[in-house]
Amino acid sequence: MAVRAALLRHVRVPLQTLNPAVTLTGPKWGPPSLRWMSSHDDHLTKNEVTDRVLSVVKCFPKVDPSTVTPDVHFQKDLGLDSLDNVEIVMALEEEFKLEIPDKEADKIDSTNLAIEYISNHPMAS
Amino acid sequence: MGASSGPRLSGMQRQVLSLYRGFLRAARLKSAEDRPKIESLVSNEFRHNAKNVDRKNFLYIEYLVRRGRKQLDQLKSPDTVGLSALNVSFSERLK
Repeated sequence: MAVRAALLRHVRVPLQTLNPAVTLTGPKWGPPSLRWMSSHDDHLTKNEVTDRVLSVVKCFPKVDPSTVTPDVHFQKDLGLDSLDNVEIVMALEEEFKLEIPDKEADKIDSTNLAIEYISNHPMAS
Repeated sequence: MGASSGPRLSGMQRQVLSLYRGFLRAARLKSAEDRPKIESLVSNEFRHNAKNVDRKNFLYIEYLVRRGRKQLDQLKSPDTVGLSALNVSFSERLK
């Protein structure tokens, strides 16, 4: 972070580089405003994450797909137990090619938190 | 991550879930043919114990977690295809 801050202090990017063609190929450490609205310039929008998270949850054998919405709680709303919860988070890991550490995985107990975690994860793909 | 709305997990629950996760991770590394078999055995074993072991029986749960960790280490070895190691505990329990 220190390096990034130091770079940002010295790099001056003229405003016209804000056009989309440049943001796509632009450097990863571009001005924060470029990253602000596009969760991660080069991949995964939040909508895409939401769709894929929902489809993973809907495919879970014990889940009735019609009950799945972007803010269901796995255990309270879908009647799953903590072992199912582990299985869903593992399935999400595979879908997005991530490894979620235990400490974080234990906290992900709803589609909402899953979407939030994954869309903020730099390695999700 | 924000505050979770669910009940907080006890240390022991967290250990069990972490062990379960470990087994599922190890199963991923096995062949496409063995993986579902291992997953279903492991899942059955955990669910069986979750249903039948008294949640206050800490000594026994600790014992199961320790035994599970040893089995997980065995399963992680590339030579283990999984079923034999797990079958031992399965048949022991049925006695």
